[in-house]
Amino acid sequence: MSLRDDFQPKWKLALKWGWLSFAVFILMAPTFYTVYISFNELGFGAKYYIFTFQWYESVFSDRQLIGSLGWTMLLAFITLPIVIPFGLMSAKLYKQSTKKVWIVFILLSPLFVPADILGSALLVFFKNLNKFFTMIAEYTGIYALESWFDLGIMTAVIGLIVYTLPYVFVVIMITMARYRVEQTEAARDLGASAWRAFWEVEFPQIRAGVFSACAFVVILTFNEYTRTSLLKGGFDTFTSVLISQMLNTGMSEESYAMASIVSLVAIIIVSIILIVTAVKTDELEKITRAVKEPSK
Amino acid sequence: MVIFFVLPLMLTVVWSVFERTMFWMEPAFTLFSYENFFFSSRLENFISSMLHSSISVVCAFFIGFPIAIFIRRRVKKVAQHRVMLLFILPFMVSEIIRIFALRPILSRNGVVNSFLMDLNLIDTPFSVFVFTPTGVVIGEIVSFLPFMIFSTFLALEAIPNYIFEVCSDLGVNRRRMFKDILLPLAAPGLFAGSVFIFVNGIGIALIPTILGGPGSVNAGLIATQAIIALDFPLAMAVSAIMMFTLMGLLYLGHKLFNLTKLLEPIS
Repeated sequence: MSLRDDFQPKWKLALKWGWLSFAVFILMAPTFYTVYISFNELGFGAKYYIFTFQWYESVFSDRQLIGSLGWTMLLAFITLPIVIPFGLMSAKLYKQSTKKVWIVFILLSPLFVPADILGSALLVFFKNLNKFFTMIAEYTGIYALESWFDLGIMTAVIGLIVYTLPYVFVVIMITMARYRVEQTEAARDLGASAWRAFWEVEFPQIRAGVFSACAFVVILTFNEYTRTSLLKGGFDTFTSVLISQMLNTGMSEESYAMASIVSLVAIIIVSIILIVTAVKTDELEKITRAVKEPSK
Repeated sequence: MVIFFVLPLMLTVVWSVFERTMFWMEPAFTLFSYENFFFSSRLENFISSMLHSSISVVCAFFIGFPIAIFIRRRVKKVAQHRVMLLFILPFMVSEIIRIFALRPILSRNGVVNSFLMDLNLIDTPFSVFVFTPTGVVIGEIVSFLPFMIFSTFLALEAIPNYIFEVCSDLGVNRRRMFKDILLPLAAPGLFAGSVFIFVNGIGIALIPTILGGPGSVNAGLIATQAIIALDFPLAMAVSAIMMFTLMGLLYLGHKLFNLTKLLEPIS
């Protein structure tokens, strides 16, 4: 990564890089501090620091936590195959549509609606929907319709889909921006079906974006608390256990260790995506340069 | 999205005029929930949370806008997105963990105070960083700053390079460049970032709960407390008020700046 602008004094550029790095450091400081404390045998506020894995060991022997981990993974793996095709279809629809404003409005406004407000609205919506289906069940005698929208996995998954879809849409859109539609048109002209043109021509080129979106969905599901806690019904997710421990007993050393596990896994996954993307972009640029300037 | 996002949010207006029963609500037309909101200390809390959010927006502008300009103008094109991705990392860590971890950092015997005392810059530790409105503002900035940087950068990215080159050739000074080029062209991004921070500042209950102390209440907290108290119409009234605030701001922003321009660089 090199700096531009030869007319600017070096110290000014260094100052600006310093400001940027400081902002990143401040944003990450709470996470780094959590990880730092999680390895201290004496916990938060102690005068001395003794490195230990003790808190991690006690976290992994916690049955409630392991159970919540299972529930969270289940939620993530149910949400994933639903939200990714939705995101793909939405991105394709956006590219082809002439009424982009409405698509953007519907797909991106969940980002702007605070979690507590959307969670509350969905909670009341599901409760009303449940009453409606119970009424239909009583009227028609089809009792299978009863309790369809009882709070549980399905309602939590719907909440997660609404939450993660905007992120999936944006990530896939970014990769789709590089794809030239003429390639699909060429494939169709050569007799490929719409599905084959998508699967064999377009998908290989946007695959990185789709896999990144999958990683983002899993990470966001693990980190989500407010909507899931309002919509989940009787089971506990990883963050709900973490938060109840934090709020009821304060930040125990186990809480620091639990928070660190979630954060580090997310950071490692995102870092891998960033590195792979950077390497691939470099390779693509080299190929483009070689095609443009074959003599060099 | 229409069924599970637009519809529930629109229906909050209908449910907000229902009558409260012991454990639920029943169809009626009453403005009691709105009275309950507008003629009580809740309104005062709502206004003060709007004030705190506005301060956070201003702070995020002063911290984030120079960063977005720097990345767009001084970093090589190929590296710009990589630098931007550095700001994605905090988003991937749960907001709850980040906000909760701010407590031990900012508390009286926390890292910041210890650091300042070790440097002999202060004699007694500051107690304004947590359980005060300042704590709420700090929490909002740490939580939402990346969004201001993203949206502003997206708006700046749509500016063709030749505009900067022409300005440079014509000898336009930095102040005019900022006032007449960067600020107007980044306006859609600045607006989107500001709306995001403002609305989430008044809507996310967690920040005042963890960092604001007993006096700090925002719309999100009023809604969740109303649900805990089984006052569903009040929770829906608060949600409806939030929705109208958000819709009004987004409509205004779209009319003034055409917010779809923000997606042009990636579409």
